Amino acid sequence: MTGVLHNYLIVGSVLFVMGMLGFLTRRNLILMMLSAEMMLHGVSLNLVAFSRAHGNYQGQAFTAFILTVAACEAGLSLALILALYRRRGTLDVTAWTDLGEAPAELPTIPEHDAPHIEQEFPRLKPTGHLPEVPEEETAARV
Amino acid sequence: MSVEWIKSHWTLLVPLLMGALALAWMMPRQGKPRPIAAGLMGLAAVGCAGFFLLKPGPEMVESALFFLFAGTAIVAAGLMITSHNPVYAALWFALVTLSVCGLFLLQSAPFLSAATIIVYAGAIIVTFVFVIMLARQSGAAFYDQSSEQPTWATFASFLLLGGMLVCLGDWRGQSGSDGGMGGGMLKVPAVWQDRELNPNPLSTLPDTEAGVKAAGTMRGLGRSLFGDYLFAVEIAGTLLMVATIGSVAIAPRRAQGGL
Repeated sequence: MTGVLHNYLIVGSVLFVMGMLGFLTRRNLILMMLSAEMMLHGVSLNLVAFSRAHGNYQGQAFTAFILTVAACEAGLSLALILALYRRRGTLDVTAWTDLGEAPAELPTIPEHDAPHIEQEFPRLKPTGHLPEVPEEETAARV
Repeated sequence: MSVEWIKSHWTLLVPLLMGALALAWMMPRQGKPRPIAAGLMGLAAVGCAGFFLLKPGPEMVESALFFLFAGTAIVAAGLMITSHNPVYAALWFALVTLSVCGLFLLQSAPFLSAATIIVYAGAIIVTFVFVIMLARQSGAAFYDQSSEQPTWATFASFLLLGGMLVCLGDWRGQSGSDGGMGGGMLKVPAVWQDRELNPNPLSTLPDTEAGVKAAGTMRGLGRSLFGDYLFAVEIAGTLLMVATIGSVAIAPRRAQGGL
């Protein structure tokens, strides 16, 4: 009739902890917001499982309210992220470690944090010779 | 004593340790790609946890679907928080949301499942636009290639997870051999069947076969929401409006044509 409640509680707690880990470690503001939403998923799963196990609608009603609050939170946080991005031009959360203090110079990125990306582009092999273009076509080819 | 404890809880500790190691190893670090070995180790941790900690329910199909959705949700969650690319992270989050909606369906909450998909589909599309607008303007960002204190954060998170799982395990040990409420519902307290004493009379399923079958219908949830929780629903609507006004007020205004 119903799944084992215990299983759902375990999955909910794992999702919650994963969201917490993402919130603690990621530096991108948008990813931090998504991690917070994932924590809410874990809690919702917990509530729905208990609602089923107890045979009432209280958990489901509570989850509907969680959805409402999550929607509000997403809208507000995206507006905040946009406002923060306009100020400093970065989504990095460590750019905002000086909130509440006297305005100092903008934080500088430490040397070892600089992007370290090595790219190799494919090279075309020279084969054959240039085709000869008729005189009347050169004007059409820009 | 501690050795005894470790011996009796090794089925819990092994997948926890493997999962923590795999996640700490997969976290973005300077200029290194995600190691494949860590991913395999994470998969092994998920498999171990599923094998040791989760007990299949009485029905085959439901258990199979549960394992499918739960596994997808957890693997996608791990990939989301370790992804180097915010666009991929948003996609993995969409997969987590879909799996959680599947779990909602299994727990007879079809309305919540559909509502979650609708709400988060909109949210994820908006997030996508934001990510593409903001994060991709200057190529790969350095702050997506590195994470903040990955080792200690993983340690703290898995300490919390271990604590929760040990508590859940003890609770299962106390509440009987069938895994607590496995296979059936909790007995509804008899006093709740008395409509005078029950604080939320419309939210309680009647203790009959028909009442149990009615679990999860939209009619029941609607009666609960607009009966017992009518005031809270009104407050939630007000909250949505306040949040809308707040977002409009907070969001910066741009000059015409600016991004």
